[in-house]
Amino acid sequence: MLATLRNFLEAVLEWVTILLMVLLTVIVIVAVLFRIFGDSLSWYDEVAAICLSWITYYGAALAALKRRHIGFDSVLLAFPVPIRMAALIIAEIIVLGFFVIMAWAGMEVLDVLEGDYLVSLTWVPVQFTQSVIPIGATLFIICELLSLPEYWRMTLAGKSLEHAEIEEEVEAEMKKAGAN
Amino acid sequence: MLILLCFVVLLILICINVPIAVALAVSAIIGLLATEGPGSLVTVALDMYDGSTKFSLIAIPMFVLAGALMNAGGITDRLINFVSALIGFVRGGLAMVNIGVSLFFAEISGSAVADVAALGSILIPQMKKRGYSAPLAAAVTSSSASLAIIIPPSIPMILYATSAGTSVEQLFVAGIVPGLIGAFGLMFVAYMFAVRYNLPVEEAFNTRRVFDTFMDALPAFSLPVIILGGIFGGWVTATEAAGLAVIAALLVGLWYGEFNIRHLRRAMLDGGMQTAVVMLLVAASVLMGGFLTRAQVPQQLAQGILDFTTNQYVILAILNVFFLIIGFFLHSAAAIILVIPIVIPLINAAGIDPVHFGLVVTLNLAIGQQTPPVASVLITSCAVARANIWEVSKVNVYFVAVLFVVLMLCTYVPAVPMFLVEYFYR
Repeated sequence: MLATLRNFLEAVLEWVTILLMVLLTVIVIVAVLFRIFGDSLSWYDEVAAICLSWITYYGAALAALKRRHIGFDSVLLAFPVPIRMAALIIAEIIVLGFFVIMAWAGMEVLDVLEGDYLVSLTWVPVQFTQSVIPIGATLFIICELLSLPEYWRMTLAGKSLEHAEIEEEVEAEMKKAGAN
Repeated sequence: MLILLCFVVLLILICINVPIAVALAVSAIIGLLATEGPGSLVTVALDMYDGSTKFSLIAIPMFVLAGALMNAGGITDRLINFVSALIGFVRGGLAMVNIGVSLFFAEISGSAVADVAALGSILIPQMKKRGYSAPLAAAVTSSSASLAIIIPPSIPMILYATSAGTSVEQLFVAGIVPGLIGAFGLMFVAYMFAVRYNLPVEEAFNTRRVFDTFMDALPAFSLPVIILGGIFGGWVTATEAAGLAVIAALLVGLWYGEFNIRHLRRAMLDGGMQTAVVMLLVAASVLMGGFLTRAQVPQQLAQGILDFTTNQYVILAILNVFFLIIGFFLHSAAAIILVIPIVIPLINAAGIDPVHFGLVVTLNLAIGQQTPPVASVLITSCAVARANIWEVSKVNVYFVAVLFVVLMLCTYVPAVPMFLVEYFYR
């Protein structure tokens, strides 16, 4: 059940991230070509920046699901098990707490932005573009919770997730190099 | 006092493996709550949004993507063949090839781990087969990949330029000469090892073969030409060059016919996630930066150190020691985002050129990638070579020493990194 939900969310977030990357790439390339040929797109700066922001938060949720955010686990893993697991619980509560605040603040801001539109594309409401903050924060919370059991197991066993990630990457590349 | 509390909280949170981005944001929130009350919490949403829409950072996902596409598009093998034809005749040829290719290749994608894994998984097994010890193969791969972060395009440089409010293009130009000096230094050390262990040459020098492999790799060279040529010539900004690099990488991959949908999908996904991880840090630093600026921390720090000394070289020495220490514990992106906004007023007040300082910082962090516990590049190389980190480090010391010499040279002879910048821009 939990695994199914996790896989489903992973697939959805992967496709959202990929689509946003494609969109941003196309926007940047089109804008560069336009400028080189002497014409600038008025909406380029604003829309590209919004795209970057969406990649940040949808991608950050995905990175939380895969526990890829930059951290420092050497000290934590050096603690004896009881202290280590207690610290882990505190750390997780703090992370979740932060995103709860961010989701709440994001909703407050959305209320204030009622009736505002983008500067360059006057038919796009700012509420839509800024929705990424509360939505991204909520997704982050869900992803953090879904990936917690695995993180718990690894930390209990004293294994570093970063090292596991590197092993995985190396394994994949070695297979590719071997296949050639 | 409050500032001290915030830093202690930050340190504790990082030590219990709270993601550094979140740790930054949480300590900023504590500061905000203490100085401006609960009403100020709405700032969290505003700053986290503003921080994630920094236009100049769009270059990051574009370069990351171009790098990932290069990885997937068959460029690696052809670069290796060409460099091997060019310098493979030297004793220890494979080590030379490794260093030479890294300069073109590594860290373009911003994910040093992915790059080292890609390049290392091809070269390290070959090196081992040719009689190189596993630690030597890992050390060469690791140190040359880190040197590559001072050669454009470089994600840490883009982050630095944005944090310090200086020119990415000039910083890119400043990296060229130190990068080449470093590469020759690494090759020299590799040569000494090759002589000592009697390692083989790769292939006899043959003009015909150089020409053939060059023609085969020619489309791949369009990438550096576009990036460097466009930026040096002043035709495009770094972000635009990054966009063009993506087109070039796509075209080259299609030309070689080695793309498939799975590669493309993975390239987009890795690029997106790498970007998100870095951008979340940037967004959190905007929250922290706002708080620190209102509390006048960077200004006070600058004043404190300037009261102690106004000598640029002493200040650079202090900062070098500081960054070398930080490099043990933080990834390069995190270190830049955390520290640069705080020290940049000091740099400006002391009259140090921020472009020069940017190169010094990047070199420091390149060394930091080689020093455990946090040394992702070194750890990845060791994993590929199936070698023990400690054994590798014993060999790697000589290569890191080269990086250190380059760092000292760039710190105390500003002309080394800066004369090209002066020539092109000033």
